[in-house]
Amino acid sequence: MAWTDGHATRDLLAGYAAGTVEAVAVWSVEAHLTGCARCRSALSALVDAGRLARNRSVLLVRVALPHGGLVRRLLCRCGIPDYVLDLVAATPSLRRSWLLSVVGVLAVVTGEAATVKYGWIPVSGHPGLAGNPSPEALAPFLLIAPLLVLAGVAAAFLPMLDPAYRLAVAAPFSGIKLLLLRTISALIAASVPVACAALIVPGPGWLPVALLLPSLALCGFALATASILGSRAAAVIAGMLWVLPALLLATWHVPLAIVQRNAQFACAAVLCTCAVVLYLRRDRFEVGSAT
Amino acid sequence: MNTNVRTAAISADGLARRYGANRALDDVDLTLERGITGLLGPNGAGKTTLLSILATVNEPDAGSVSVFGLDPRQPAERVEIRRRLGYLPQELGYHRHFKVAAFLDYMAILKEITDRRRRADEVARVLTAVGLEQRAGTRIRALSGGMRQRLGIAQALLGEPDLLILDEPTAGLDPEQRLRFRELLSDLPGDPVIVLSTHQADDITAICPRVVVLLQGRIHFNGAPAELAATAAGRVWVADERDGRAHLSWRGSDNRWRHIGDHPPAGAELVTPMAEDGYLLLSHAAGTR
Repeated sequence: MAWTDGHATRDLLAGYAAGTVEAVAVWSVEAHLTGCARCRSALSALVDAGRLARNRSVLLVRVALPHGGLVRRLLCRCGIPDYVLDLVAATPSLRRSWLLSVVGVLAVVTGEAATVKYGWIPVSGHPGLAGNPSPEALAPFLLIAPLLVLAGVAAAFLPMLDPAYRLAVAAPFSGIKLLLLRTISALIAASVPVACAALIVPGPGWLPVALLLPSLALCGFALATASILGSRAAAVIAGMLWVLPALLLATWHVPLAIVQRNAQFACAAVLCTCAVVLYLRRDRFEVGSAT
Repeated sequence: MNTNVRTAAISADGLARRYGANRALDDVDLTLERGITGLLGPNGAGKTTLLSILATVNEPDAGSVSVFGLDPRQPAERVEIRRRLGYLPQELGYHRHFKVAAFLDYMAILKEITDRRRRADEVARVLTAVGLEQRAGTRIRALSGGMRQRLGIAQALLGEPDLLILDEPTAGLDPEQRLRFRELLSDLPGDPVIVLSTHQADDITAICPRVVVLLQGRIHFNGAPAELAATAAGRVWVADERDGRAHLSWRGSDNRWRHIGDHPPAGAELVTPMAEDGYLLLSHAAGTR
């Protein structure tokens, strides 16, 4: 008998306190407890203090954990496990401050190209004044845009930018898997503003697409080199590999050549080679001393 | 089947590690059983290097390690060791903008606890164990040094590890927190293998049934704290005045001079040595102090 004389029995209250009664019974007990001091005091004697403390701690933790906004819910809907999103959220280059600085730098180089093209700034001896397309005006944008993507990816894999790096190495979660999750999300996060800026910047319409392969090749090169020379050296060498030809082509007045056909083929070849190297040397990311 | 035959939980054989010209570890042989082992030594003795090798985050130049019969050089076995490991590095980095609970949640994912509900339960359990449950929503940058250290201990306890490697776990803890920490270690379920390093001998005598003294990359003592104390038997004296012939002398809390040496100072009284005396004598003999 669950109820006697309009009050809950000791067994029912004990079951409620232990969390073993059915949902319907829980509701009726709770409704009754709000108006019955006798049953409330009987219940408090039956509650396991240890369990109560544990439940309280769990509650405090659940409240403190991020519940995520629209983007997170959307990505979860797309089938990305929530723990992957939590792991990726620790990446420095996915933080708002980082993304804002990427947008800031892009705004400067895009603005520069636009002002030169539309002749807002008179440039003496410049061939592309008064509305004519000017390849030179694009040079700073072409130099900077893939570097921003590379910087985002480097920030995602450089051990010195991950304060909990040693803890991550000692954990069973695969190092290469964590690295790829972070770099791919950093790559996407940086590529979106770069592609948008490439649409705005005065230049050929295919520019947003043409920037994709060089950016990927640079990041792939940095990752593959990191497995051999260490992360910091890899990031620097990859950066130089873009800066030097980009500057050279700009001084020859053909800055666009860095993203045109031959360059695309070269980038595809680099990307494939690096993917193979990275696969072969993947175990180097599982131990702390190598990276 | 004879269940009395027990192989060592962890064994290290001929470990050596160099950093440039500096020999951090030099031919270290060590076996560890279940229970708490204290690793005692001055700064720079090689404690951190030894512990990071046992924790699979560092590789020795020579020698081999076996953890629960597994070889960390084999990728699959290394992951298996990490599944059973809780590690507190000496210099623990944090994502400072993280909240306490979010940091532990992140660590729990790295320890392969992917179910969200189970993770919250586990995070709550370790936070309660170190007495930080009220701070679950605090950002790490707002925590005091002692609280951060407790958070470091909490992350090492995630997943109820079978092997707990704690590098200077009591650094930054006040006396009351040290007592709670000692209680916490002795109450851990499942009789895990625990190795902790410290340069404070009183931590060792209070919690470790076994102590290993590491000096200049070599093991100089391996036994019970009482045996370490016994190495200084007949060589510890207390006197009112300082005696220059003693190897070491310092003024104690009773304002009298405690001497470690071979010659009794004038009017000195021979006292029962403590583990700290044995440790200091060993350090002196090794020429590290």
